[in-house]
Amino acid sequence: MAVLKNIAAIAKGMSITFKEMFQPTIVENYPDGPGPLRGAKFQERYRGAHVLQRDENGLEKCVACFLCAAACPSNCIYIEAAENTAEHRVSAAERYAKVYNIDYNRCIFCGYCVEACPTDAITHGHGFEIASFNASNLIYRKEQLLSAAPAHLGANEVFNSADVAGGAPALPVPGS
Amino acid sequence: MIIDFRLLIEDHGTSTIKNQKSTIKNRQSKMASLVSHPDEVRVVSKRFGQGATSIDRYLELDGYKAVQKALGMQPDAIVNEVKNSGLRGRGGAGFNTGLKWSFVPKQSPKPKYVLCNGDESEPGTCKDRLIFEHDPHAVIEGVVIAGLAVGSHTGYIYIRGEYRYLSEIMQKALKDAYARGFLGKNILGSGYDFDVYWHGGAGAYEVGEESALMESLEGKRGIPRVRPPFPAVVGLWGGPTVINNAETLASVPPIILGGAEWYAAIGPPKNGGTRLFCLSGNLARPGVYELPMGYNLKKMIYEVGGGIPNSRKLKAVVPGGSSTPCLTADEVDVSMDFDSLMKAGSMLGSGGVVVLDDSTCIVKFALRTMKFYQHESCGWCIPCREGTDWLKKTLTRFHAGGGLKKDIDNIQYLAENMLGRTFCPLGDAAAMPTIAFVKKFRKEFEDHLEGKPCPFEKEAAIEQLPVMA
Amino acid sequence: MADAPKEISLTVDGKKVTSPPGTLLIEACKTVGIEVPSFCYYPNFSLQGACRMCLVKIEKMPKLQTACTTVISEAMTVTTNNEEVRQARKAMLEMLLGNHPLDCPVCDAGGECELQDMTFSYGAAESKFMEAKNHKDEQQWSPVVYFDRPRCILCYRCVRVCGEGMDVWALGVQNRGVVSVIAPNKEDHLECEECGMCIDICPVGALTSGAYRYKTRPWEMKHVGTICTHCGDGCKTTLGVRRAESGLQIVRGDNRDKSGINGDFLCIKGRYAFDFADNPERLKQPLVRKDGRLLPATWEEAFELIGKRFSEIRDKDGQSIGVVGSTRTTNEENYLLSKFARLVLKTNNIDHHRTADFPAFAAALAGKTDRTASMRDVFNAPAILLIGNNPTDQHPLLAWQIRNNVRLHRARLYAINCQPIKLRRQATNFMEIPSGAEGKVAAFLAGDDTAADALTSATASRDGWRQLREKLRTEQNLVIIFGSEIRGNDLPTLVKFGLAIPGAKFVCLGDYANSRGAADMGLYPDLLPGYHRVADAGKFHEEWGKIPSAPGIALPAMADAAKTGKLKGLYVVGANPVARLGFDPFAFSKSFVVVQDMFLTETASIADVVLPVANAYEKSGTFTNTCGDLQLLKKAGEVSDTKPDFEIIVRIADAMGFDVRKLVPFGTGTRADMGQSRGAQSGEADRHAVWLEAHGLEPKMSPFDPMAILDEIQRLVPGYDVSQINLLSGNDQHTNLMSQSAGSAAHDGSLIAPANDDLFTSGTLGRYSRALNSVIENRHLQPAETEVAAD
Repeated sequence: MAVLKNIAAIAKGMSITFKEMFQPTIVENYPDGPGPLRGAKFQERYRGAHVLQRDENGLEKCVACFLCAAACPSNCIYIEAAENTAEHRVSAAERYAKVYNIDYNRCIFCGYCVEACPTDAITHGHGFEIASFNASNLIYRKEQLLSAAPAHLGANEVFNSADVAGGAPALPVPGS
Repeated sequence: MIIDFRLLIEDHGTSTIKNQKSTIKNRQSKMASLVSHPDEVRVVSKRFGQGATSIDRYLELDGYKAVQKALGMQPDAIVNEVKNSGLRGRGGAGFNTGLKWSFVPKQSPKPKYVLCNGDESEPGTCKDRLIFEHDPHAVIEGVVIAGLAVGSHTGYIYIRGEYRYLSEIMQKALKDAYARGFLGKNILGSGYDFDVYWHGGAGAYEVGEESALMESLEGKRGIPRVRPPFPAVVGLWGGPTVINNAETLASVPPIILGGAEWYAAIGPPKNGGTRLFCLSGNLARPGVYELPMGYNLKKMIYEVGGGIPNSRKLKAVVPGGSSTPCLTADEVDVSMDFDSLMKAGSMLGSGGVVVLDDSTCIVKFALRTMKFYQHESCGWCIPCREGTDWLKKTLTRFHAGGGLKKDIDNIQYLAENMLGRTFCPLGDAAAMPTIAFVKKFRKEFEDHLEGKPCPFEKEAAIEQLPVMA
Repeated sequence: MADAPKEISLTVDGKKVTSPPGTLLIEACKTVGIEVPSFCYYPNFSLQGACRMCLVKIEKMPKLQTACTTVISEAMTVTTNNEEVRQARKAMLEMLLGNHPLDCPVCDAGGECELQDMTFSYGAAESKFMEAKNHKDEQQWSPVVYFDRPRCILCYRCVRVCGEGMDVWALGVQNRGVVSVIAPNKEDHLECEECGMCIDICPVGALTSGAYRYKTRPWEMKHVGTICTHCGDGCKTTLGVRRAESGLQIVRGDNRDKSGINGDFLCIKGRYAFDFADNPERLKQPLVRKDGRLLPATWEEAFELIGKRFSEIRDKDGQSIGVVGSTRTTNEENYLLSKFARLVLKTNNIDHHRTADFPAFAAALAGKTDRTASMRDVFNAPAILLIGNNPTDQHPLLAWQIRNNVRLHRARLYAINCQPIKLRRQATNFMEIPSGAEGKVAAFLAGDDTAADALTSATASRDGWRQLREKLRTEQNLVIIFGSEIRGNDLPTLVKFGLAIPGAKFVCLGDYANSRGAADMGLYPDLLPGYHRVADAGKFHEEWGKIPSAPGIALPAMADAAKTGKLKGLYVVGANPVARLGFDPFAFSKSFVVVQDMFLTETASIADVVLPVANAYEKSGTFTNTCGDLQLLKKAGEVSDTKPDFEIIVRIADAMGFDVRKLVPFGTGTRADMGQSRGAQSGEADRHAVWLEAHGLEPKMSPFDPMAILDEIQRLVPGYDVSQINLLSGNDQHTNLMSQSAGSAAHDGSLIAPANDDLFTSGTLGRYSRALNSVIENRHLQPAETEVAAD
């Protein structure tokens, strides 16, 4: 009789186990999951590696105001500003960031820089696979942080001319 | 970038002044016709319309007799006579003239000057032009007597640049006066030298302010000076200077001839004499009338001015030029003198009475007023320069239907923060009427909210002043 | 009977304030620590009353009054901090910020902008402005002056500093009302002295420096107040420094540290011409000549070679080595060089590029004390006599002091010159003389009437000259300033004239940053530090040891001696005699030449060993300006692998086998500068650097400490025993020129070679400055008239 009681207890316990076995898993199956992120799922506001945004004309938003560098508690942002000229225009304002480095050895991903930015240029992306054996690799330059240039640089031909000369479409192409 | 002079000649005053045409050509070809009313007491305007620009005619009409009498008086006696007459500045500030003269020090290492302020630019005001047009010698005589009172030997008559044709008249009058020995060395054989020079302005309202007037006369930008020291002590080129409005100076010879008591008795106590009231706006008989000080405003509108035409009702009155707070229809039963109007919350100012009937949009009127001040601000001090510009922009947007509720409060906030904080009274002149409009006609402002079209106009089109680069 | 004017008492915010009559209320408030904000008010310039920020409540006055235009009166009661006043300030800022563009992220003034600071202090940060802002075009007025017109708040400070302060009047106001603009004198660009004062004085980012544009932010830099290395005036310039690959880079120069003698003033060189320090041509490695070519070498190699060769030459004949000192090395280095030459090289053949006859000056003042004027005295003197020189170009600070003394204190300026110099505009009396007649002026003033023959002209009659002399004789506390045109025997004549005037003091004008220091520290073949004759060195023998007593040869003679083979070694420290003094470069082909300099100059090109040195902005030490004011230099920049002259001299002595402890006291050594720390704005400090500094653990760069030798200088050089505490706190201390040996120390007048620089030329340092050169090129493209804008 005690044996039956024990079997019943075990069966009750195991029933929960079997029930749960066929529920969908909550655990993310990273790195063996599907998709380019290999199963990793993020909230919208997850603070990953930074992305320097562009505006609707494709120009960089960053105006090298140094506020992110000032806000950073780890002193890990290095900036050099330069002037936009008629021939070479990078941002929409008078100046742009010629050099923009974030030292990910030091960055603590606190997000103060994102809060400080007046132009919404620096934002957090979701990049998290940045580990490296070489510390020098962890100093990201502007090119690594900048978001991709759009296929066409908007309808404003002033900003467009160099690219059109280089072969980009002059007008927006539907679907791009 | 130089100011486009032409733009400043264009209609500056409120668009409701009917007598004045808006081009020089028209002004030159048609001098304003004179009006009259039985209640008038002609002191300053006694010689109007009688050809007194000619010196012979002037002499026939008791001209230069006051100077003769004054030459025989002690300077202190002249000052006291004018003080006791109760004559107060007719340019707008209303300061007792004789008292102002008494501030000039007896001894001075630098020469003393008399300066006639003929820069009549206050919207609603058109009286000094009539004096220059019809009786220029009276001004000259007043300047000389003022000089005798304070011990000066040099006078300047500054006439607004836009009054070019009137300057010609004045220059001729001066030439004639010199020729007959009323000016120059040893005037009237008295042994006293007195020179008077004409000077033309360059097109700014701000130089009506006395220290800016001096700066302009000295050839500099028309920006007011830091006060103290005041002109009576440190004025033109550092010397003591008496500055009076043209009408004030033209009132001096009659006072010398007629006596202080006579002049003081014409008006209420401390507000002696008569003044030229410029009635304009929605009136049957607009024009310049010389009435005793203390004349009732309601009577002035309905009897002298002939009341509101087209069976419309009175909405508001601006009693003393656009710088003065408006009075509603309920408030017009008031005596037109400096003190009474001050008690009523407004000012006698320059005597430009602008009458608005109930077809006038107060918001548009406020906007038009503010455009003037924004254009004329000299730009020296922050509150006036930025405040008038901000107010003009807000009122423009407001009148065009883009107004928000908080704008009404903001207009009041800006005006209240300009008041008393500016370098010269132009800021006050812009702020006070605005505060009055918002306080007394708030409902009308609220009727423009939520994109509603202006209740007084089918199209909300605003006349645009060209913007200077 | 006349007492000092009775002080006036008033009450401000409940505090009792006493100040002299005539004080402005805003200044009186400052004395008790009450700050009344203002944009347009600036001390020593005309009153404006334009910004209305300083409105305060004064009892019994109906409206708020501007504190900057109100003069204090007895028993005045003032409130600067009630609700009404606070609201007024807030409203003024709100109105100003209406049309002011929201440029903070891209504006160079961000972080040091008075408008930003006031907005935070007085709470106007939230805007009610919903309209379109007025736009005006941005302009560039010169290579170094940018004008962002929309940002201008029309405080008129720039107009006043350019006009009243600099007497150039290149800026003015155009238009009226809200479209008023500040405009330059040539439509869209400036023609002026490019002093850049307008940039420093601008409270917002309307006027910004083109040399600093977009480089960095104020909190990213460390600000070091040091002494300018260009002319002999000794202005304090504030260098903004930040870490860079090559060490510490000087990113900008301005005048935010106003504690120097110059106060608000700084000229184009002090402000922009610091960038010679990071010119790519800068030498960063020792060079040794092998097979006729200069090739890079290590320091050890270089020192070994120098030590060996100098020892050889000295042991054979000590008199066959020549030393050329520098006019822009510190006093400590000059003293050390002087000692090194005499003690280690055992020679008196030491000289430098002389620009004024300081020895004659010292001899003429022998035995007298307190007869030299400091730069501050020039600002306060009731009367000034200026003979020769053109201070506007060659001594801009001196010109500023004179001009503002005349403007603010109604001082009397008597100017005598062979050119119609710009300062004649401030002169009570200007006499034009034929070129070269300055000596006759001295003679005439001292009493020789026949000298007037050479001075009379159509504009200056004999009577005029006599009247001038009589007038001068009656002046009390006259400051007599003379250029290098007065030299040799004329100098004592002029001094004789001056000594007869009660309270008169002198300024002898020499050109380079430390020309006076070079002279005071004995870089002369016949003089030791303090103008002691080598023949009777007295205490120097005791202190230093055995030193030669026969005078050596001067600079031109060194070239001749080298040609004949008598001079076999030459040690050139920071000088360029080939280019500046016309030395024949081939004269030294047979000598062993060592040059230490920053660049491969014409002289360095003929050397056998070239050593890269640090300049005055990269080391500590002291400079003496031409008036005799001693000031402290603070190390600002740093370029890797250059060494200060101090260290090189000691190492050469060491390489020659000399016991360096006998040469220089070691002191605590020099430690590395830990670079910038974050400014107060961010509240962060570079914690590691702070910790290291607190524990004294910064890397030690050198065991040598120039300050240790300052003690020796103060002991041995008469007149230099000033308060060291004051000096090290950053204050200027006036040295007394005290020569013990009376009698003429007549040097050949032709040995004086004034630089005759003007604001836009400099052959020594300026030619390596990109900023200065860009201005010079721009002026050539748009040639200015010969008269200044003010005329």
